[in-house]
Amino acid sequence: MKKILIIEDDESVRKELEELLSNASYEVLTLESYTNMLEDILSMYPDLILLDINIPYMNGEMLLKNLRKVSDIPVIMVTSKNTEIDEVLSMSYGADDYITKPYNPTILLLRIGAVLKRGEKNIADVILYHDLSIEIKKGIAKKGSEEIILTKNEMIIFLYLYERMGSIVSRDELMTELWNNDEYINDNALTVNISRLRSKLRELGVEDAIETRKGQGYILL
Amino acid sequence: MKLRDYLKDNFFIIVLVFLTYFIIYSFMIGFKIIGEFRLCFTILYFLLFILLFLYDYFRKYFFYKEILSKLDLLDEKYLICELVSKPSFLDGEILYQMLYEINKSMNENIRDYRVKINDFKEYVELWIHEVKLPLSALILYTHNKKVDKTLVKEIQRIDNYLEQILYYIRSENTEVDYIIKKVDLNKVIRDVLLKNKDILLERGIDVVSDAQKLQVLTDYKWLEFMINQVISNSMKYMRDILNKKIEIKAYKQENSIVLEIFDNGMGIPECDIGRVFNKTFTGQNGRKVPGSTGMGLYIVSNLCKKLGHKLEIESEVGKYTKVRFIFDDNLFYSEVRNKE
Repeated sequence: MKKILIIEDDESVRKELEELLSNASYEVLTLESYTNMLEDILSMYPDLILLDINIPYMNGEMLLKNLRKVSDIPVIMVTSKNTEIDEVLSMSYGADDYITKPYNPTILLLRIGAVLKRGEKNIADVILYHDLSIEIKKGIAKKGSEEIILTKNEMIIFLYLYERMGSIVSRDELMTELWNNDEYINDNALTVNISRLRSKLRELGVEDAIETRKGQGYILL
Repeated sequence: MKLRDYLKDNFFIIVLVFLTYFIIYSFMIGFKIIGEFRLCFTILYFLLFILLFLYDYFRKYFFYKEILSKLDLLDEKYLICELVSKPSFLDGEILYQMLYEINKSMNENIRDYRVKINDFKEYVELWIHEVKLPLSALILYTHNKKVDKTLVKEIQRIDNYLEQILYYIRSENTEVDYIIKKVDLNKVIRDVLLKNKDILLERGIDVVSDAQKLQVLTDYKWLEFMINQVISNSMKYMRDILNKKIEIKAYKQENSIVLEIFDNGMGIPECDIGRVFNKTFTGQNGRKVPGSTGMGLYIVSNLCKKLGHKLEIESEVGKYTKVRFIFDDNLFYSEVRNKE
């Protein structure tokens, strides 16, 4: 389980963030005090830090600057200051991403996922699912010599479900992921894409790959 | 200062000069002074006064000419005292001293107001950032507790209004707080559309976007705000039809890149379209749709002016509205691109 450290001094935001992240199956760490932040951070070995700019004692940007001298733990700056100057400054101090409050929670999770993924060097081009091999870049699903082409949307949906195999993914999450990839489809199109993906997987012999959970979403088995 | 006006102004003195001349002249005749002497006297007398008047006229003429022409060229007219040299005649000196004192006190006044306005702006900005904290907590809360989406939409409306006042303040501010750099149009459009995703989907508005991987030079956050305003308008003034849509595209024109946002909404009447960028103008559509402030497009056009982008709007009632941002593809830009 990945460990995420939240540095945020607004208590209600911090509590809700903790809940959001632990629901998304991350281990959540928080700071007890803001006096010895650098040492505290380093002793916790987090995989990622969500850092607010307005924190007591030391500005978030300064903390980041000091942290970068000794460590390259991924840092996402979170702030309600939304000028480009703040963002450019943060990025130049070595932030991996910059998100302004109030943020959409689904998008926050996507961005966290993206930054964490950047850390893992080898992202496979080919993934195995049951007895199928899915070639991501070519956009095809293979079983032996049988090949079926997946459209860009179907691939996005499949990958998103695959990364969360066995847990329920809501339609809203899928929609956000698709829109995040510049595919601005509507509700009907999402339904169509999922049923098409389902039938393509069936053609390759994987029956009932995607299960519908009424009112909750989909789950890849 | 024209010579005629000057003479008119000194009419009484001139009459006195002539009167004195005639009195002296009649005395001369009375005392039987010879004609040659009288002629000499006449010439010398008038020459003296002509010289006196000319001297007086010209030193005033040059001072006022300088002050008037500089005043004409000056944008901030109250700075005139800094620019003219001190006059050498009494009236002028008094005038100059008065101007100087008046300006000084006005400048102090202006400074006070500036400081007050700046403090106010700073406080409002700070305040907006403070308000965003509970808003963030609320959004996270609704997500965690899986509360109805209507709540999220209302929170988003608050956020939109907050952004509007934030950018209003920024657009009126003389200080520069933007950074011009390369901005990927696809990315800005994506950020804006993601923000409005729920409302777009709920209202059944189809979105098509094709920015052709074009990049423009602008401030990312400002552009994001501007596109968001335009799209909010598109959503707000949508007609109740079957295939509602918003189409965003970007393309190259000679020396510029155009970002066009099209919607097939209710459109803007011809009599209103010239005024949509005016402050607090709401027009006919404003009366149809609740919550029109007439500020959105005004702020957008102001920001565009600051960034040096052109903004165009085109519409037909009951059919469509098109808003175009035109980004100059300037020399610096092609220089940057050639290096890559």
